[in-house]
Amino acid sequence: MSDLTDLLLKKPLTDEVLRGLLFVTFALHLLFVLLTIGTAVISFFHFLHALWRNQMQELRWDREILKTFLGHKSLAVVLGVAPLLLIQVGFTVPFFTAVNLFAPFWMLIIPLLIISFLTFDYLGHRVNTRPYAHLVAGTVSLLLLLTVPGIFVAVLMTVEDPGSWVKVIRDGYRLRGDLAFHWLFRYLHVLGAALVFGAVFHYFLTSKEDKEKKHYLMHWLVTGMLLQFVIGALLLSSLPGRPRGMVLAFISMGAMAGVVMLLYVFQKAYGKGSLGMGTTIPLLAVLFVFMLLGRQFIQDLRLLPFQKVLEGNASAYQDKLKPYEGQALSHYLSSLNVSVSSGEWIYQQSCAFCHGENADGKGEEAGNLTVPPEDLTAVRTTRSNLRKIFSEGVGGSAMPYFTVFDREKLESLTDYLHGLYHILDAPGPIPVQISAKAVEEANKQYAGICSGCHGLDGNGTGISRSFKPGPPDFTQYSLTPQRAFTVITNGYPGTMMPPFRTLPEEVRWGLVKVVNDKRKQ
Amino acid sequence: MNFPIYQVPYLGNGMLIALDAVLHVIISHGLAIGAIALAVLSEYIGMKKSSEEWERFAREFLRFTVIITTGVGATTGVGIWFITSALSPRAIGSMLRVFFWPWFIEWIVFTLEVITVLIYYFTWDRWKAARKSQHIFVGLGYVVFACVSAFLISGILGFMLTPDGWPWDKRLTSALFNLTLLPQFLLRLAISFALGSVFAAAYVLLTKRSVDFRGQALRFFGGVSFVSVCALSINGWWYFRTVPSPFISFSRFSVLTSRFSMTPELLYVVNAIGALVLSLFVFFAFRRSALAARLLVVPALVVSFGFVAEFERIREFIRGPYLMPGYLYANQVLITERTLFEKEGMLTHTPWYKAVAAPGDDITKGALLFAQNCSACHTIGGINDIRERLKGRTEDGIFVILPHTNRMVPYMPPFAGTDEERRTTARFLYQVAQRQIALRAPSRYVPMSGRAGHE
Repeated sequence: MSDLTDLLLKKPLTDEVLRGLLFVTFALHLLFVLLTIGTAVISFFHFLHALWRNQMQELRWDREILKTFLGHKSLAVVLGVAPLLLIQVGFTVPFFTAVNLFAPFWMLIIPLLIISFLTFDYLGHRVNTRPYAHLVAGTVSLLLLLTVPGIFVAVLMTVEDPGSWVKVIRDGYRLRGDLAFHWLFRYLHVLGAALVFGAVFHYFLTSKEDKEKKHYLMHWLVTGMLLQFVIGALLLSSLPGRPRGMVLAFISMGAMAGVVMLLYVFQKAYGKGSLGMGTTIPLLAVLFVFMLLGRQFIQDLRLLPFQKVLEGNASAYQDKLKPYEGQALSHYLSSLNVSVSSGEWIYQQSCAFCHGENADGKGEEAGNLTVPPEDLTAVRTTRSNLRKIFSEGVGGSAMPYFTVFDREKLESLTDYLHGLYHILDAPGPIPVQISAKAVEEANKQYAGICSGCHGLDGNGTGISRSFKPGPPDFTQYSLTPQRAFTVITNGYPGTMMPPFRTLPEEVRWGLVKVVNDKRKQ
Repeated sequence: MNFPIYQVPYLGNGMLIALDAVLHVIISHGLAIGAIALAVLSEYIGMKKSSEEWERFAREFLRFTVIITTGVGATTGVGIWFITSALSPRAIGSMLRVFFWPWFIEWIVFTLEVITVLIYYFTWDRWKAARKSQHIFVGLGYVVFACVSAFLISGILGFMLTPDGWPWDKRLTSALFNLTLLPQFLLRLAISFALGSVFAAAYVLLTKRSVDFRGQALRFFGGVSFVSVCALSINGWWYFRTVPSPFISFSRFSVLTSRFSMTPELLYVVNAIGALVLSLFVFFAFRRSALAARLLVVPALVVSFGFVAEFERIREFIRGPYLMPGYLYANQVLITERTLFEKEGMLTHTPWYKAVAAPGDDITKGALLFAQNCSACHTIGGINDIRERLKGRTEDGIFVILPHTNRMVPYMPPFAGTDEERRTTARFLYQVAQRQIALRAPSRYVPMSGRAGHE
């Protein structure tokens, strides 16, 4: 997809500052995400443990841990705003494209979070009532919560791999083979980190002087760290391309900090001592920062060259659009300074391109239509019939309905048409003398031929009402005599109305009279 | 265009965003600003009156509010962003480039909001007696941060309707300090306190309280409601007076929609009934009539939510054809691209078309042109169904109307493409309206053309 372009508006900050801010804010966000997940997992398993042993009084401690969930999750959400902003500004096309490819799953994150947050807060505030209801609610909301990082990992993997996009949109996202392993290890690596961070947080901040709790959390910490080494190694091996240079250096430093920390924790665990905050937190911080640096560099190495291509394309596209800017802006400016409520404005904007500026049916688009637009200067009808046409259109013709305007606007359009073209007037007298015999002949012709479609009363027949377009209803709709004469003589193109030019002229005028006499209103 | 298109089946993109956003506005205004401010005020009253009941009410009301705000309010707020990221990437991406620094500052303010409200919530039992006023001060700090948030976001929302000089000078100051910033900010504050006081009164009525306290609290929150609704009316009038008249002209239609546009009386009747219900509730609350207020509390809440939805609907609708006025149309076509596409074609400038579709397949072309030009608002078979809109039209009728949509209906963006693309789109739409074509994957506009596939 090398012909994609970046957005055309300038980036508001330099790439270096952007990447620096992205690193710092993402680290803060991830920290609280890990604490949120860690807190949820640890408190849930503690609850299970207590339930299994039937030691319900222990659930009070569950509450101690889970109470902090409210803070963790609130901060996790709010801190996520900055990295989301920065990645959308810095890697606009890769990020939005991946998100679009995952659209339903990506949007699903919101209800998943809402349900699991509300349930966990509910559990945190009212523990010690019905344990089995808690078991069900806890299981469901934990599963929902754990789905979220899975979606994020898949989205980020797609962000980093522009080469896969066309395949994804063509065949759907398929998590198979190497891709599946990479996703799995990356996801588990997040969960492992959540255990480690959750355990350390609660070890120092919520267990106070309780030896048993500290012991329990130490188990979680050791398990989490051992898992992280295994999963981390697997993740490293599943990376597309061997890590080199800076990436390798960062990850090695992180791993070293991890080894030191593991040794320290082991020593304390075997010596029955307790962990010191002054040693544990700095070690964990160093580990976290180096690992995240490694992650960011892997991502940058893959995306920066592509980003350069996108930005080059954008500046070329910008130049291409430059000539059209003046015209587009003046069009925009003029759209701000019109009164869009007047009947005249509606006519000129919505009707004139077919019916013509002078309503003679000769608008710029008239030539493109099989059924020509009506000459409105010749139409004589009623307000209620116009209302019907405006709200339904004329089926089988180009005439659309106009309920896109509210009633007042359409009434003002009617007033405009009447003011200029007398559309609500009666059809008026026949301009020529016709003999009684010709009228009699015309009546005969109407009854014999015309009424087949127009009906004896002039409002159509069962069959003709299904024509598209159908015949006009003569009881409510007429044309000026001259125009009616023209239609009878030449027919109406594109409709079932044939020409009757073989009838004597006087009879055709007679027909005009017959037809216009059917008007009731 | 530059991004693939996804449309939410049945609901359409706009409706999904609207549902999420209205929920967010109700919580962020009514609870996060209004209710928490009133909880702080209640705590203050409790301290001044040395009233155990006011203190207890403030504490419990805050707990309810904090859980809903952090659990649903914040997530639905991020939700608006998540949904638009997936559905209108070019618009949200461009907006973020314009408003990067205000949004970055907003991140800091958001974070401070969360930190202060957490401190306020978790120190309630610990900071007592001598430290009580300090505790109230923290609550007040939260309210100030929340108002700063509302100010920044009003600037961004105002830009989407009245961008002032920005389309010409592209300067952040023109974009942020736009014409409707101040009236909209004050309007939103008034909405916050009006909603917050209705929530507070509802909480008093629906939880167990002594008769004496309930009377006091109802009178107090009834009074707050009255003042806020007055402020809301004044600021609402100011706001709608500031918006340019061509936009305002479609406000009535925006609520009625084409379904009810021929019976505008309906709008006035429904709004009058809503206003009456709300006024009666406020009146009875102020008169301390618990029974009458209790009967009206649920209708009053529903009516308030309805008014919020109505206001947001009008504001979103009347900006009409633009997502960023003077820059980007609602269908994510740049205003400058319109002329380019008329000359060179939209599909030639759509990398996804070239990468994915088989050249020469008219149905695929038509589907893609529809997706890019129309699917921001119209669905096939869902809300605002294009098949209903084109019912009875001829193919040449559709062809003729396409280039004039923006003139005919000023809130619709123009069709952007060559005459040949216009012909292709008209044929596709005609066949869709006649039910001759169905879609295989509606959300991506992959047509079932009877051939093996579109690849």
